[in-house]
Amino acid sequence: MKKISGKLLLIFSLALLSAGGIVWACGGGDWDDGEYSNFTPEAFVDHQYSPFFYTSWQAYYGTDINDNSNTRYNEQVVKEWGDYLDHKVNSKDLAALLFTASPGEVDSSYRYFKGQMQLLPAYIPDLKSTSLPKAKVDAFFSYLTLAKQCESFAISDVQYSWDVKTTVVNPAPQLKTNLMIAFDHSNDQFIKQRLWFQLIRYSYFEELPALNTDSSAGPDHSGLVTLFNKYESAFPKNSIYYRALGYLAGHYYKRKDYAQANYIYSLCYNYSSAMKIPSKWSFHPQNEKDWKQSLLLAKNKEEQITLWQMLGIVHDESRAIEKIYSLNPQSDKLDLLLSRLINKAERPGDRYEIDSINSIKINANDLALVERIATNGNTHKPYFWNLAAGYLNTLNKNYIASGKFYNQAKKQLPENDRLVEAQYRLLDWTLYLARLTKIDAKAEKEMVSRLNWLADLRDKKDTIANLRYDRALTESILGLAGRYKKQGDVVKSNCFESTTGFYANNENIKALQALLTKRNKTPFEQAMLRYYHLTMKELYYHQALMLVYQENTDAAIPLLQLADDRALIDLPANPFNSRINDCHDCDFNAFQKKKYTALSFVTTIRDIKAEIAAGKNLYTNNLLLGNAYYNITHYGNARAFYQNNITGYSATSPMDIAVEFRDRFTSAKIAEKYYLIARNSAQTKEQKAKCTFMAAKCERNDLYNASYKKQAKDKKYYWDFDFSTIPVGQYFAELKNKFFQTAYYKEVLKECGYFRSYNK
Amino acid sequence: MSILSLYLAGCQQKHNAHTAFYYWKTTFRLDQQQKELLNKTSDNRLFLHFFDVTWNEQLHEAIPNGVIDIRTPIQQLKVSPVVYITNQTFQNMKVKDSDSLAFKVNKLLNQLVAAQHINYTLVQIDCDWTVGTREKYFSFLKAFKRFNGKQLQATIRLHQIKYPERTGVPPVDKGLLMFYNMGKISAGLNASNSIYNKEDAAAYTGSLTNYRLPLDVALPAFSWAIQIRGAEVVQLYGKIGLADLAAAQNFEPINKGIGKIAENVFIYKSRKSFYIKGIYIKKDDLFKLETMDAGSINQAAAQLTQKLSPLENRNIIYYELSSISTSSLYEKDIRKITAHF
Repeated sequence: MKKISGKLLLIFSLALLSAGGIVWACGGGDWDDGEYSNFTPEAFVDHQYSPFFYTSWQAYYGTDINDNSNTRYNEQVVKEWGDYLDHKVNSKDLAALLFTASPGEVDSSYRYFKGQMQLLPAYIPDLKSTSLPKAKVDAFFSYLTLAKQCESFAISDVQYSWDVKTTVVNPAPQLKTNLMIAFDHSNDQFIKQRLWFQLIRYSYFEELPALNTDSSAGPDHSGLVTLFNKYESAFPKNSIYYRALGYLAGHYYKRKDYAQANYIYSLCYNYSSAMKIPSKWSFHPQNEKDWKQSLLLAKNKEEQITLWQMLGIVHDESRAIEKIYSLNPQSDKLDLLLSRLINKAERPGDRYEIDSINSIKINANDLALVERIATNGNTHKPYFWNLAAGYLNTLNKNYIASGKFYNQAKKQLPENDRLVEAQYRLLDWTLYLARLTKIDAKAEKEMVSRLNWLADLRDKKDTIANLRYDRALTESILGLAGRYKKQGDVVKSNCFESTTGFYANNENIKALQALLTKRNKTPFEQAMLRYYHLTMKELYYHQALMLVYQENTDAAIPLLQLADDRALIDLPANPFNSRINDCHDCDFNAFQKKKYTALSFVTTIRDIKAEIAAGKNLYTNNLLLGNAYYNITHYGNARAFYQNNITGYSATSPMDIAVEFRDRFTSAKIAEKYYLIARNSAQTKEQKAKCTFMAAKCERNDLYNASYKKQAKDKKYYWDFDFSTIPVGQYFAELKNKFFQTAYYKEVLKECGYFRSYNK
Repeated sequence: MSILSLYLAGCQQKHNAHTAFYYWKTTFRLDQQQKELLNKTSDNRLFLHFFDVTWNEQLHEAIPNGVIDIRTPIQQLKVSPVVYITNQTFQNMKVKDSDSLAFKVNKLLNQLVAAQHINYTLVQIDCDWTVGTREKYFSFLKAFKRFNGKQLQATIRLHQIKYPERTGVPPVDKGLLMFYNMGKISAGLNASNSIYNKEDAAAYTGSLTNYRLPLDVALPAFSWAIQIRGAEVVQLYGKIGLADLAAAQNFEPINKGIGKIAENVFIYKSRKSFYIKGIYIKKDDLFKLETMDAGSINQAAAQLTQKLSPLENRNIIYYELSSISTSSLYEKDIRKITAHF
């Protein structure tokens, strides 16, 4: 499960017109289902249905799905042969013989068993040492030899590749004869049934090429149906039977007898967990007429229910629930459908950016249906229906109804089921939150245990397998932050959801620091602070930062000292250097004799200011201050100085900087001031030229800032940004008019394209 | 009047445009009607979709998909092979792999072509590339041209026409302007036809004149129905047409029983839950049918020719042949539309 994210931006994806008639599939958003879900299907639905739990982004739910047609039944097959061979051959050897050994290796193994070979390579399983009766081993190898030959057409190794696929292997007619002879002669039920399966599968592939070319069919020369019907009752209804049945369904499907095909697929679907995925995948009613015929083919209510469940999971949960409920209210096939209906209903709409449940609209018919069944109370899991009805009502903002259903559910919850109990707690808590209008001391007291529990889940101090709690967590954080804000308690609001604006006001920070350092915190305060993400050190650093930009260096230093390690990280470049063209990477890579940290940087500023106050090295010192204050703007080489958990790390454009700090971190006014003072103290024309150009950079940056601001106001895109139209300002003119004879001027002309074009 | 007719007739002959068709299904099988249309209007010119190239998440490589299965003899047709490559392929692969991808695409294509004894002179690559994939896609195209040697064409979508300085102009011999899919496919009940509508098209045609590639043109000869449920798009179907929606026992037209809400846009609401043509429709689902008829394709062609730079032997490709019977487009219509160019 991913970390919670407050806002999920949901994006559509488009695909091209494709073959099958369906030209565009809208799978919904691209997100982890846990993020928006408050309802855990695992709490209510039998595990065998887990691949069909609702998921908005993958074909089957879960990570333990085997959707490989070639290996799906391998485990089962090994088990069956293990039983047949009296467990005298280990599973590994059996699997090797059955699935991976070549016909030659199978033959070697058999000949070694019969004593026709003296030595058997170690990698080929040896059945000689098993003390199995010869008749059984003979039967096994005779069958296996034939079965291996069938693999050529039956195993479709769909490896996507750049080589043109070899033509489909058609079954060899002789093989059918051999299978038939073996079948007729076999007296062993186990072997005989498997040969029957091989013959049916053979027949399916035998008629396949003709059907692929012309699905209008013609007579069935393969004899598949006859073969199936003739011996169907002679064998047990085991997995081999149902696999044969699957080919019968395939036969009908290829011949466009959809009524039969889909009915038979539903029987396979119902048989076992392993058969559910391929059967559901094959289930395709075409028109209402064949669907109705499939229903008529069902021999009893249970078979009808299975058909409706399939329709439900593929297309229409509520219609299927309605039908199944009318057939048998106690059916456990309702569970999967209800879980899907809920998980679909709570999914945010495709066009929304969600940060709450506000955008969700519950289909009125679905709600009425679930409420009705919950109220009737005659299903096999009444608490499931009551929780579902309660939750749909919460989503629909009908909290009174929600409460009623939850109360009913509470009385019906199964004992000692942690997951169901946690699901109830979670739903009950989100209802509490939704109904909470004013937070007073009583409410705070009531919330303590739930807030701690959610924080425990988040921090993995409490784990309840499969429980989906991210939505509840997000709703708690955003909901409580919002309510406190409404009540005017910005500090508590900020504890749940930090906003940048909060930190623009030092009084806020001080109040928060008081709370963090308070000695006797209430249980609620303790619980609440588990949702707050910053440390005292980070707050001190931020306070110091603000003071630096106010040029209050002396007050900033002690706070930086309190910020401790946060203020002791090396800055990537020397913040007292300058260059004609800003190049952060060049500065980062340049040799730095002295590395500065935030603390040593600010103390150096203090020392320089002291020298200036004493009248020493006025040109150099003011130039250094100009550089220092330039470099701690967005355009300088020391962005790292102002980037923190409050101001953010990732701004690449001035417009990415939080609006509260944007002017502070982009304005070069302080730097410009010191460059101009330095110019006044300069001794040479070269020095003056340099100060003038540096001031020009500051001036230009402020013009950029203004352009960016205007750009944002005009809602234009970044690529429409036109630097060339930015006015040039006064210092370019001064540089050109007063300092054109200096060497520095010539250097600028060489390095700075803007100045060059200005000069033309 | 007669002078005007003569003038138009003169125009029609001027640039000698050729009609052609796309065929996009994975199984190539033509019925008699399609064969005749192809033969009589386009002199058997066919842009045949051979396969897709998609990104396989499991294998972490680009793989071919939906390789064409040819069931109708094809030797007498003038085939230009088309390969569609998803933009996702280029998003995921590295620039250095463009060369080997180009090699593989060319090899597979030539194997498929050789198996059918097809001679071709032009090959088309279709990819909705973006700013982020431009470098990789373009280096793929260069490599492909090197391996393949035939005339190379790349599809150009409208947004690529509008912002060539950002998306770039592909390094190919010729472009193919896809003059459709101009609007967003939306669940909105008042939106105009997303396949083609004059207003949305006008936002792009202005940039056509200066485009730096000779352009063939693909025109929409298809319709589709957008299935809408609870104000969200569920699915898009090419096989649901007006004939299906007009069945009163299944659907009712909205908008006071008219159904039509805009030019070539019709909305129907389902009366019940049922299956039709393998599609499941839920009660109250809406179907927004967006159609293209001879009139609207003609309008698109007229709008386009006002801005398109002149070109000899331009191909006008109709999308697409396998679904054309539903769009009631006749030979004479096609001749008339192509004659605009």
